[in-house]
Formats: sequence, structure tokens, C-alpha cells
Amino acid sequence: MGVRFHLAAVALLLLLPGEVLAQAIQYTRPVETAPQERTIGGGYKTPAAQKPLPRQYWLQVLDVVLLAGAMAVSAWIVLKKRNRRWLMGLAIFSLVYFGFYREGCVCPIGSIQNVAVALTDPKYSIPLVVIATFFLPLFAALFFGRAFCGGVCALGAMQEVVVLKPVQVPRRLDRVLGLVKYAYLALAIVLAIRPAIARDFVICRFDPFVGFFRKTGEPHMLLIGGVFLVAGMFIGRPYCRWFCPYGALLNWCSRIARRGVSITPHRELDCGLCNEACPYGAIEKMRAIRKDCLYCARCYASCPNEGERAKAKQELVTIGGSAR
Amino acid sequence: MNQNVTRRAAVAALAGGAGFLAHKAHGQVVWQVNASKCINSRLGETTVEACNLCTSSCVVGLSAVRAVNEHSKCGRCNICPAYFNITSAVDEKGMPSEKLCPRDAITRKPIGKQDPEDPSNNFYEYTIDEEKCDGCGRCVMKCKEPLGLGSITLRVRYDKCVLCNRCAISTACPKDALEQIPLPAALEPGLARRTE
Repeated sequence: MGVRFHLAAVALLLLLPGEVLAQAIQYTRPVETAPQERTIGGGYKTPAAQKPLPRQYWLQVLDVVLLAGAMAVSAWIVLKKRNRRWLMGLAIFSLVYFGFYREGCVCPIGSIQNVAVALTDPKYSIPLVVIATFFLPLFAALFFGRAFCGGVCALGAMQEVVVLKPVQVPRRLDRVLGLVKYAYLALAIVLAIRPAIARDFVICRFDPFVGFFRKTGEPHMLLIGGVFLVAGMFIGRPYCRWFCPYGALLNWCSRIARRGVSITPHRELDCGLCNEACPYGAIEKMRAIRKDCLYCARCYASCPNEGERAKAKQELVTIGGSAR
Repeated sequence: MNQNVTRRAAVAALAGGAGFLAHKAHGQVVWQVNASKCINSRLGETTVEACNLCTSSCVVGLSAVRAVNEHSKCGRCNICPAYFNITSAVDEKGMPSEKLCPRDAITRKPIGKQDPEDPSNNFYEYTIDEEKCDGCGRCVMKCKEPLGLGSITLRVRYDKCVLCNRCAISTACPKDALEQIPLPAALEPGLARRTE
């Protein structure tokens, strides 16, 4: 009995200074804890804090479907329809959708880095959409050549619409500058596969046009983008030909493409009239070279055979019409 | 013929690579602010000026980082230090005369049972207009202890965030407060201190 009393007294003594101290410090905070609905009263219901979800999954899948669809349309327009005007229509659609609406993200060019990281870092999680974005244009290139570059890539479309008066870049210079993209590809992969803390996604950081798509960006990148656009008026698609790291991959894949652009519709004339037609230096010895051909459909217009084909078609129509 | 063989090999190699990656692909990861690291919300940081880097570094026009008030944790104070500039002159009703938010993104309304005798006994609901807020963090800085309860934190809005490979804010943040975490975890309320 006595022991218990003593213990209680000791405990009281120990607690006392603490209580005195707590009274001495005055918090200026108006409330101690968050008042809940019951305290607030008046039938108040606590609203939920705004937590918007990311873009819905089916919309992300739609991006991939549109990418695949646009490449199929691009191949059909260029290989079958052989019509530049239609291709420009597709390019403008891609520029608006993949560029300005989707703000340039996700794009196959940048996805190189994600794939490189995913292949080397077992902990890195790569979304399925990014995998599809990376591989689809490469598969397309194995069958039809660089259909992606033609009217699908937003960066390509951006440069395609500004081509004004392109000059022919000397072939040797063109070839030397063309090596830059391989170095850039190697650099991007090396920087991306470093340990997570030091990882750098240079392709995204130095995307020349994404600032225009987002209508904001670092001043130096907007400047570089502007320089590319102004230069692109007189030099056809400089970024695509010399710097695009994904172009390097497409270049390799399209070398073994099943089909590609053939300038003449059915038989080769070897007249050489198309020699100057390509602003991208992709015509060599009167033939379009698949690894460099950017699917712009300009060269058809220079071919006399093409005109003949159109005329023959017209004649067939008139003969058919008069025979009836 | 030879080219056909090469092409077939290339198709197989690409398909194999895609399959391998698809096999190891899993759920979405997103960027989110860790409130216990963020200089604006973490306890013990007593910088006078809020850190403005979330506003200035984000690649989208109006930063994807916004201040979010977790209502269930809000003290609903009469004189809210995040709503009012508590150092400004006091008006005739005894309230601070200036607001804190430079963009006037916070609205205040009395809620629940009203006390007609003393309005300072009332509770108030503070709502942040997410379309006006640019994530400067001033209110976050003021809402934390000892003045507030830390119910306001900076959060990434996923309808604005473009999910950069390397978030530009994360490279600018001096406290490494931006982290890439799975989406469900990122939607949890971000509190500097767990209250329960």
C-alpha cells in the first residue's frame, strides 16, 4: 500500500515540471488538429482534394493506333497514290495531332532512350505504349522504307512545311554531316544508360521543335529551333538528315526494305530529269535511295513518265466515255 | 533473296526485343512531390521566401505543380496564414488587409454552424483554384507548423504533367523532392508529417 503511494508521488513529481513547461509555451496556432465534419456541424461535407488522373489509358493506346494508321496511310499515299498534295495533308494532320495537341510526347525519337534504359536497368519500368512507339516505325521501315519520316513524324512535318527554295547540298558535305546522327545516337544511348542518378535524356532536352509545340521553352532551345526552321527554308529538313538519332535506326532498317519509292511508275527512262528533284539528296544515279528517302513524294512531278501515266489514264477515261 | 533473309532476321530480332521489353513492362510511374522533402512543406525549414523553382522550371506553360489543400487536414482557421498576408496592416474588423497569394487563387468561405456572437469562432473552407495556381509555394510555406497544420502541399497535376523522362523540376530542386513513383502511391495525400 505504502509502496504504491510512493510510486504515485514520484510519478507526479516527474510529470509536474513537464506540465508547467507545456503551459509556459504558448502556441500561436489557432487550432490544434483539423476540425472534422462532426465538429464543424451544419451538415458540412468535406470536399475531396483535386487529384486529376493522367491521360486515360485508351487515349494513350489511341496515340499508338494513330501512329500505325498514319504510317499505313503515308505508305499508301506515296507508293500507290503517288500524290504529294495528299501527303502534305497527312503531314499537317500529324503536325497538329502529334505535335501541337500531344505536345510532341511520346515520340519514337525520344523513346530510344527509354528502350536503352529498359534494356540495361532491370528496375526501370517502361510503359507498353512507349515500346510500341519505338518499334512500330522500325517495322514499317523494314517493309516500306521510311514511311514514318514522310507524313507522320511531327518534327519532320514541321520542317516539311517550311521548305521554300531548297538548294542541293554538295554530296560529300551531305555525307559527312550525315555521320553526325550516328554520333548523336551513340551519345544519347551512353548518357541514358548511366546509373539512375546521373541519367541524362539529351534527345528530349535538345529537341529543337518541342518548344514550339508547347508554346514555351528555354530561350536557347527556341533559338536553335528557329535557326533550324529558317535554315530549313533553303536546306531541306536539316534535322532529319543530319541530326535525328532515330533517323539513324530508320536508315539501317530501310536499307533492307521490301519496297520503297521508285521515281518512275513502271519503266525506267534514265533521262535524268529527276536528278535535281530531291531536296534531301536522296536521288543517286536517277534512283531514290531507300535509306535516305524521306517519303516526301516530290520527285514524281519531275518524271515525264508520270505525266504520261496521268495522260494515259485520262485518255482511257475519254475513250471509254466516247465509246458508250 | 539474300536481302529477304536479312529482313526476316531483322524482323525477328526487333520482335524479340519488343517481346522481351513487353514482358518486363509494368504499371505506370509518374513524378510526384515528396512533401517531407520539399523545402516549402517540410518541417524545420524556416526560409522567409518560398522556393519558386516548381513554377520556373516546369516545361509546360503554367507549371504542372500546384498547391493542393487536403481539406480533411485543414485547420479551417479564421485568420489563415496561407490566405492572408498576416504581416500586413489590420483593417477595422481586425483582419489582415492583404492576401498572400499573388495570383488570388485561394477562395475563402464560412462553413458549418455559424456563431453570430463571434465570427472568429467560425470555420472556413479554403479552396485553391487549380487553374490560377502556378505552384509558387508561398501558401505552402505559411501553412506548415507552427502557424498551420500543413494541409497545403505542392502536388503534380497529371492532367498538366507531360511525364518527361527527366522532370525538369527534379533537376532544379535543391532537395530532390520530385520522385518517380507508381501512380497509386502518387495519388495519396502528400503530407510532411503523418498526423495519425
